[in-house]
Amino acid sequence: MKLQELAAKLELKCVTQAFDKDVSGVYISDMVSDVIANAKPGDLLVTVQIHSNVIAAANLVDICGIVVTQGKLPAEDVVKMANKAEIPVFSTNLNRWQMATRLYEAGIR
Amino acid sequence: MTSETAKPRYEMVNVRPGHVIVEHDGRSRAVRSYFSAEPSPPVEEYWEGVHVWKHWGTAQSFQFDVLDHATGKTVTFNELLGLLYYGCCQEDSAIRLIGELAHENRISIYIAITYEAPDGTPTRLSRDKLVILNRLFNDRLQASKKKVLILPDLFDLYKTMSYGQIMIDFGLTSMEEGR
Repeated sequence: MKLQELAAKLELKCVTQAFDKDVSGVYISDMVSDVIANAKPGDLLVTVQIHSNVIAAANLVDICGIVVTQGKLPAEDVVKMANKAEIPVFSTNLNRWQMATRLYEAGIR
Repeated sequence: MTSETAKPRYEMVNVRPGHVIVEHDGRSRAVRSYFSAEPSPPVEEYWEGVHVWKHWGTAQSFQFDVLDHATGKTVTFNELLGLLYYGCCQEDSAIRLIGELAHENRISIYIAITYEAPDGTPTRLSRDKLVILNRLFNDRLQASKKKVLILPDLFDLYKTMSYGQIMIDFGLTSMEEGR
């Protein structure tokens, strides 16, 4: 499934440029070390973290996009970094569990 | 349905969760860090020669080995403290300039920050290990147009960077807004 199609379906707010990529899976974590060790390229990262190191880790692993939960918004410099790395970042008021269930219902496995 | 892809030569194995412990000696103002795999990271102060090392901070992190499927050998990376993304460096720094130039060619620069030896000198990653580390991460990016280039700490960034700049979970477990 394409990321922007999924974002529209789940009413995610894109806070960066709308780069479109294939979503091959989901990884839920708030630890960058965990993302580096265990996430797979093409995964959509669901996290509550908005630190610049989340972008750095997502770029290293080639995460297709990041969904920041609980209504949190990254700072302007983090958005700039994400745009440069072509990693779309979305925001949602849902928590991680609610986001996980919505992603599953949308057909992401 | 996904197509079958060739298995990468290198694989991250024996991932060991733990903590990066940062200590300081108030008298000499020396700061050093080490990895602890203990479930509860040590925080006690202790004497070592003329130094009194006091706990300064803890970051969640991990250590890993890399298995070379071609040779069957496993290479350890215990010297590696973490990776520093060029975009997390100061805008007027040399590494930021190099990183920006590399970015134009879709290459993302990371610096391998290593632990310091007890005498304060950094424990450098060997050239062979840097080659393996670069292959490990780039092999994962096969379907992507991106490349990463992991450089040794030629700029001695370990002396000037903050632990929050490295990709370890230092200060990330608090719910601060942005960096």
